[in-house]
Amino acid sequence: MHICQYRESDGMRTDNQIQKKRRDFLKTTAAGSAVALTGLSGCIGSTDDDGGDGEDGGTTDDGTDFDEVTLGVLEPFTGDFAELATERNQGETLAIDQVNASDEYDFEFNVAEYDTQLSSEDGVQAAKDAIESDGAQFLTGAISSSVALAINEVAANQQVVYTPGAADVSITGSNCNEYVFRFETNTAQIAEVTTQWLADKGWTNLHYQIADYAYGDSVLEEVDSRMSERSGDYERLGTTRSAPAAQNFDSAITEIEENVDAADALVVGATGGHLIRFLVQAAGRGLKEDIPIVTTTGSFRVVRGGAGSAAYDVYSGTRYVPSIDTGTNPQFVEDYQAEYDAPPDNFSRVGYGSVLMLANGIQEAGSKDPDDVRDVLPGMTHETIFGDVAFRECDQQASNPVWMGQNVAPEEGETAAVELLRNLDGEAAQPACDTTGCEL
Amino acid sequence: MYAGTIQSMLDVLSAGTASFISVQELLNGLTVGMVYVLLASGLSVIFGVMHVINFAHGELYAFGAYFAAAIVTPLGGGTGFYVALVVAPLLVGVMGVAIERFTVRPLYGRDPLYHILLTFGLVLVLNDLIKLIWGTSPRRIARPEYLTGPIEMVGMTFSRYSFFIIGFGGALALGVWALLKYTRYGLIIRAGAQDRRMVRNLGISIDRYYSLVFGMGAALAAVAGLIFTAGRGQVVPGIGFDIIISAFVIVVLGGLGSFRGAVVGGLGVGLLQESIIRPGVPDLQLPLVPENVLAPVNMVLGLLPQLEGMVIFVLMIGVLIFRPRGLFGTEFEEDSGELLTGSSGGFLTDSGRFKLGIAMIGLLALVPLGSGMLPSPLSVRLIMTMLTWGLFALALDFIMGYTGLVSLGHALFWGIGAYVSGTVLFNFTESAFVAAGVALLVGGLVAWIVGYFSIRVHGVYFAMITLAFAELFHTSLTKIDGWAVGFCETTPVCSAEAARDIQLTGGSEGLFGFSSYWGLGGVGVELEEIGIFLGPVTLTGDLLLYYIILGVVVASFFITRRMLQSPFGAVLKGIRENEQRVRFLGYDPTVYKRRAFVVSGIFATLAGVIFALNESFVSPEAAEWLKSGEVVVMVILGGMGTLFGPILGAFTFFGLEALLQEETLFGPFIWAGSLVGLGGPIEGVSATVAERWRLFLGSTFVLFVVFLPRGLVSVPELVQQRVPTRFDPTNVPADPEGGDD
Repeated sequence: MHICQYRESDGMRTDNQIQKKRRDFLKTTAAGSAVALTGLSGCIGSTDDDGGDGEDGGTTDDGTDFDEVTLGVLEPFTGDFAELATERNQGETLAIDQVNASDEYDFEFNVAEYDTQLSSEDGVQAAKDAIESDGAQFLTGAISSSVALAINEVAANQQVVYTPGAADVSITGSNCNEYVFRFETNTAQIAEVTTQWLADKGWTNLHYQIADYAYGDSVLEEVDSRMSERSGDYERLGTTRSAPAAQNFDSAITEIEENVDAADALVVGATGGHLIRFLVQAAGRGLKEDIPIVTTTGSFRVVRGGAGSAAYDVYSGTRYVPSIDTGTNPQFVEDYQAEYDAPPDNFSRVGYGSVLMLANGIQEAGSKDPDDVRDVLPGMTHETIFGDVAFRECDQQASNPVWMGQNVAPEEGETAAVELLRNLDGEAAQPACDTTGCEL
Repeated sequence: MYAGTIQSMLDVLSAGTASFISVQELLNGLTVGMVYVLLASGLSVIFGVMHVINFAHGELYAFGAYFAAAIVTPLGGGTGFYVALVVAPLLVGVMGVAIERFTVRPLYGRDPLYHILLTFGLVLVLNDLIKLIWGTSPRRIARPEYLTGPIEMVGMTFSRYSFFIIGFGGALALGVWALLKYTRYGLIIRAGAQDRRMVRNLGISIDRYYSLVFGMGAALAAVAGLIFTAGRGQVVPGIGFDIIISAFVIVVLGGLGSFRGAVVGGLGVGLLQESIIRPGVPDLQLPLVPENVLAPVNMVLGLLPQLEGMVIFVLMIGVLIFRPRGLFGTEFEEDSGELLTGSSGGFLTDSGRFKLGIAMIGLLALVPLGSGMLPSPLSVRLIMTMLTWGLFALALDFIMGYTGLVSLGHALFWGIGAYVSGTVLFNFTESAFVAAGVALLVGGLVAWIVGYFSIRVHGVYFAMITLAFAELFHTSLTKIDGWAVGFCETTPVCSAEAARDIQLTGGSEGLFGFSSYWGLGGVGVELEEIGIFLGPVTLTGDLLLYYIILGVVVASFFITRRMLQSPFGAVLKGIRENEQRVRFLGYDPTVYKRRAFVVSGIFATLAGVIFALNESFVSPEAAEWLKSGEVVVMVILGGMGTLFGPILGAFTFFGLEALLQEETLFGPFIWAGSLVGLGGPIEGVSATVAERWRLFLGSTFVLFVVFLPRGLVSVPELVQQRVPTRFDPTNVPADPEGGDD
């Protein structure tokens, strides 16, 4: 080996450069390896010299030979979101099976599944393993906003396309990047319909109960800011916070009870097991009789099923119910029911839609190179269960419609049914591009 | 009439003596407190009699809940709930007896710290066993109709179930107290808790009672798990992890081994959590006491909610420093069991081991050059993780293997390394050298402070106080940014706006998206943008970082080895062998132990720095207690007191993890099974092993603690003992405990 002159212009850097500069990661020719084969020998230099063989995308000269695409599926199969993960995974699997069986797509998905639990460290580890060990060019999954935010960064650094399943606004807002495309409805969209409905009801004195992590904060911020704009009478009477894995809400409920006389409604920013436990304990303390409870995820079947009668009468911003008659939803519901002997729910449709939109992008790009797919996805219109939906170019967030709903006692069984109260179409629900904080 | 009496009692409670605790808070506190009492009393009595710190107690709590869910689901919430209340604790009690009989008993006579290690292994086993049996989805324990919903009393709304928990839990605790106080069985247990030797000398075989005590403790934990989770709405696999640290705090506060301490500690911590350390508590007002007198008290009370979740750890540290035996505990007799460290190397001579070590380093140096040819499941990333944890384990071994102090809080230093370097890279400069330098400085300083307080206590108390410091740090991670903004808003020292722009810890999400360059003052290189071209191979990015990590680990090994060969190291080894003699020789063991703790802390911090540089990400999980436990596992797996053993332990830990998850590992077995029609079942088993690898890893660890306590490094020695060799006068080990290099 001999040492060559180092090219200062490429490798030297200063603190003045952009703080979060993304890695220009040397693409690999073999899965699980960061070693590139080059014609150079025995010198140190800039990796710009690697020649960019383009093989990482698996595209040949005519750009059509991309018969196998590896998709990393990263879901929290263990923990508070385990049931949501199962739903999402069933949706993903249905879509993958349909893509693999369809003549409309010139490729098939290979799947590498990982359990992220509820841990950002495990999520990052899973994402990197999927990319480096399994050769995944595309990632999907993560329901926890904290985990999704961490994987966002891996996607940017490793330059793979990622479709998250979490709702925190910043994922396609201030923490957005060009490799992240979200079909999941975000908190800003849900907050839009929720706050319109709250303001119309005249419920302007609110207490907030927040799960103390990204998603809960996102609900607080979005609802609070919108209510401030919508109503001069709006007042935030109090905020209680509980740890994401909290088991006991006694002290939070006691504090909420101190505000029930003055408050018009209690807004709960939580999901999954956290929300179930809160609703069960709130019902046990009689809180539901004292104050209307407004949630952003209470319409999820997992929450309605887990909380039982404690979920009755709870209001919720609603991302999806299987009964809607839009786009390809009737066919999706039929296929899903046939496959799993149960109706789909929000996370099923997110998993299903995310994989199909990704597949459409890969097909359109005619390449499995994430960079090529990244280029075609923004603004591309997809036929989805909601009808025609696109990833908006300014933030790559899907323009999904949203609803306000209320859980009502069912005609049979214990699980609450959802009654839709109001609908907002996709464009009306999305915040203006210049307010998202996303710079692409 | 009764309502009036109760109302006046409530008025007295809520307004007369201490207005800052409302009746509702009192009820909430007693409810949680009663669960703590049941959980902690079992833990405490087990410790009192057997001197076993049972880390698996939380998992027994979880098993109680899961057994109950399994019973109640088919039988319904009426009869089923009461059947579960009897059957689930009995089943868990039997589990407890089995655990004591088959795993804990072989360790009597060894240092009590082995019990911590053993029961930590059992945590891994039991937690994965739950997932294996019941899956990972949440479950519910239905309750009888009349135990659900609210109840109106004297104009206030309470949860009916809270009264059940307090009543049932109180009656059970009273029953246990009566059993201990008034029966012969209880008399022997209490006597054993005070002085086991004396009980033995009286001709009573106390060992026979151990299984029963362990079973009873396990059953109490099961009752706690059942009644608490039935009211909370869900049973999930992590509930044991979440509550065990609280149980330790209570046991330490009340006094290790004291039932009375567990009751007072449990109720006290429950009331604290549900009252004065929660936000929104009104000022304290006392009759006849002027407001200005109470002003300082109210100021402190006003700050307490900011420290929510931390106060109990501060209390725990305070108690361990000033009154290690707790409020009601007694000084327990330290078992004089041996801490098994070092290895003579067996048939491997010193030079043989040195050559083997050099060959291993050479082999590791070749890994990136042939990374594409690595056999599955090995990868460069995996080996980088192994090296980083190897350094972490080496750091722990420096204090654990050479002074006999088992730290259960070393995640503190990993967390400091990761967070401080991450904060510097994210907010101030992207120089890896500056980030590492600042982190090591902070890590060293914190190690000195923690060491200053912790070294005063020893044995299990040291393990507990280090755990408390680590949990204190872990809990603070989500609050530090808020404190910084709050501080800058209230003082002119800094601008609140600037404080909002800076993220010191990033709250519950942590810090991500930072990058680094290797240089100083803005001049340096980014590893991703340079490459070393070696024939057909280009080394860049992570592959270059690999060599940096390998270099750091090798250098750390030789530095620590050199330290241990110095007079400083000789004193440390002397302390491990006989602290009293070292003191007689004129050395102050406390000073040397503290120095060793600082060295250990600095190297553990370095491991955390490497983690942050490698992952470009850090979250609060960096400092969670599970990390402290895992690194202890690695040290024991490899063999403590050897420096290279823990590195070997880290490689084994992650190697086993990767291997067990590699389903292709079972390919030959599936093929062979298919020849005799057993391919399907074997495939099923292999899938289970791949999914529940912690169960098998934990089992391996338990077997190591019981049968191979000196770790992997002692294998050559054991082989030599079992293989008859011809007499060779040059093959006699010069130093039977000399496995220090």
